[in-house]
Amino acid sequence: MRRIVLYERYERFWHWAQALLIITMMLTGFEIRGLLPQLFGFQRAVTVHNVLAVTLLTLIVFTIFWHVTTGEWRQYIPTRKFLREMVAFYLTGIFKGAPHPVKKHRMAKLNPLQRLAYLGFKVLIIPVQITTGALYYFYPNLQHSLAWSPSALWFIAVVHVLGAFGLVAFLFGHVYLTTTGHTPTTNIKAMIVGWEDLPDDEYFEET
Amino acid sequence: MPHPSGKSSPPRMRRILRFLLGLLVLLPLSVCAQEAAPPAPSGHGSFTAAHAAKARTQTADHSKFKILKGPFKDGDGPAVTRACLTCHTKAAEQFMATSHWTWNVAKDGKDGYGKATALVNNYCLTIVGGNTEGCTRCHAGYGFKDKTFDFTRQENVDCLVCHDTTGDYEKERAGMPNPAIPLAEVAQKVGSPTLKNCGACHFFGGGANATKHGDLDDTILKAPRAEDVHMSRQGAGMDCIDCHASTEHKVGGPNYVIPADRREQPKFPGESISRMSCAACHTNAPHASYILNRHYLKVACQTCHIPAFARGERPTNTFWDWATSGRLKDGRPYEEKDANGWPTYTSMRGKMVWERNVKPTYIWYNGNLKFTRLTDPLPASRPVVLNPAEGSYRDPNAKIWPFKFHEATQPYDPVNNTFVAPFTDGPPGTGAYWGDWQMDIAIKKGMETAGLPYSGKYDYIRTTMLWPITHMVAPKEQVLKCTECHARKGRLAEVQGFYLIGRDRGFGVDFIGFAVIILTILGVGIHGVIRYLHGRH
Repeated sequence: MRRIVLYERYERFWHWAQALLIITMMLTGFEIRGLLPQLFGFQRAVTVHNVLAVTLLTLIVFTIFWHVTTGEWRQYIPTRKFLREMVAFYLTGIFKGAPHPVKKHRMAKLNPLQRLAYLGFKVLIIPVQITTGALYYFYPNLQHSLAWSPSALWFIAVVHVLGAFGLVAFLFGHVYLTTTGHTPTTNIKAMIVGWEDLPDDEYFEET
Repeated sequence: MPHPSGKSSPPRMRRILRFLLGLLVLLPLSVCAQEAAPPAPSGHGSFTAAHAAKARTQTADHSKFKILKGPFKDGDGPAVTRACLTCHTKAAEQFMATSHWTWNVAKDGKDGYGKATALVNNYCLTIVGGNTEGCTRCHAGYGFKDKTFDFTRQENVDCLVCHDTTGDYEKERAGMPNPAIPLAEVAQKVGSPTLKNCGACHFFGGGANATKHGDLDDTILKAPRAEDVHMSRQGAGMDCIDCHASTEHKVGGPNYVIPADRREQPKFPGESISRMSCAACHTNAPHASYILNRHYLKVACQTCHIPAFARGERPTNTFWDWATSGRLKDGRPYEEKDANGWPTYTSMRGKMVWERNVKPTYIWYNGNLKFTRLTDPLPASRPVVLNPAEGSYRDPNAKIWPFKFHEATQPYDPVNNTFVAPFTDGPPGTGAYWGDWQMDIAIKKGMETAGLPYSGKYDYIRTTMLWPITHMVAPKEQVLKCTECHARKGRLAEVQGFYLIGRDRGFGVDFIGFAVIILTILGVGIHGVIRYLHGRH
């Protein structure tokens, strides 16, 4: 067995803060849309949603800083290496108890599928939600000063809502995939404590 | 084996991170603080104080003036006016320039938008068909019997109806004072107009208390604060003229032209005489919440702050069915009343509906109501909207406003395609509708008197009218909740032309969204089940 550090303190804080923020924004957002029974009340839901949006944005700014200064951004560079093997693993290998095709390393802790998924999350879904959210919030001002069409708000709203549905789907898939580690709780535990005990054959030495 | 607390961040980096984390917590807090900015000064206190101070602002004790001691002959209003004019030499001249005197307004370069001319309404229809004498009980003048009335004679101005402070003054047909009124006593106690002066006519629009407006009736004189925070004596105790500020006898806020500041720019009362606004006192950002304040771009203050009108004890008329009028029992007119004593049928007017606590109708409105005159062709809409509101989402001056929506049926000339002016108010034998009960004769007589063409054929048509609701502002505890409008079937369900969050929720978008979620759950569920069945992780 080999204990390796996967997630530093800031990374764990970022992850769980982001999870809390996004889940609360899902609840408030879907209440505002009228798809959930009353949780916060419309007015408070709107306020909470907006305050959390600014909080999340702030968190993201600091996290970008963290990614850059620590070089952790390299973890998200997409790669084709072992991509096919990963897909095959999830489709068949995992049922047969085949070994995980990708070994973990401190600076390569994400498998090729994770890299793709999280990169998409970071550069696609979240920016789309932030942009449409900001346009949504400032729409009355924009409409008033730029004479925007009423259907512009409809378009902004539809994209924002589709993004939100996407995030909910992401959440379900994400949580399920955490159970595919060494044991079903290995990955979640690692995200809480920061390290993971890996059998020697699931780890590769720095060369 | 490395220590879990990490080895990669040098201490300096960690200090920077810790500092940034601190900011992370502080920044959103400061946003919270912005949301909960200190409430704007309410201004209630100052108005109450202003009201109390009003009594002190008079610089003349009119009981000291010899000329007001009279004696005046019983019912000789013009004599009182002559006395007033000995000091207030320009008062009559000023007043004669206002619509309170002319009962006629020009709009968009066209004349005739007034009671004394060609305006058609949904209640008593028009006065020009020979009904002037009964209706001019509410004219601020003496002797307005018919179109021969001399609008240039200064002594015909009625000073007392607006300036009486005793509450004893009363007008009769053609606007003459009730002969029983001690004119000298009233004349010696004149002062600034209060609710009662304006209310003597404006509470009784449509012919009786509360009939026309829905947000104005005499219950306001004794209303609890919940009925009207401004005019209730338990509320701010304001008078009409505190908002309808006046200068040179011109009273602010004529409905036929433009009733209010369309953009709610803060102006102190009186700064803009013809356009008043809530913002004049409350500013255009009176809420602690930025989002609520921003509603003022598209939503009138009245929309949220007047949850219902006719909130006093008096119901307002919402339907007036002239088509069923004129039924007689044993040759005599009769009345039917509901359990509360409100007329459900009268031979004079037909079927009527009276309602209390009425939810307003909401319509885009830029301050312009397009009225219909006797000389205009019938509007094309069915039912005919006599005064459609102008405005839309795209109109930068328009807001969603609350209205009393009034429905009626009334006679019209299907050949000339115009409305008609029946002669209603007169004794039997004159051809008046309320004397002889013959609508065709009443219309013929009325159109002759009005000097307008009539084909000889009439029919009834459904007409509707919009009355902007702006009085009876409720205490803030009764303000509309967000979900009254931000809901699928809320109050704004019918208001078109824009996307409203909480209301406009497309089935297609939600279907796609839920499909994606369900497919994801199914996918991972099946994957998990297979893993479980294989007995592996």
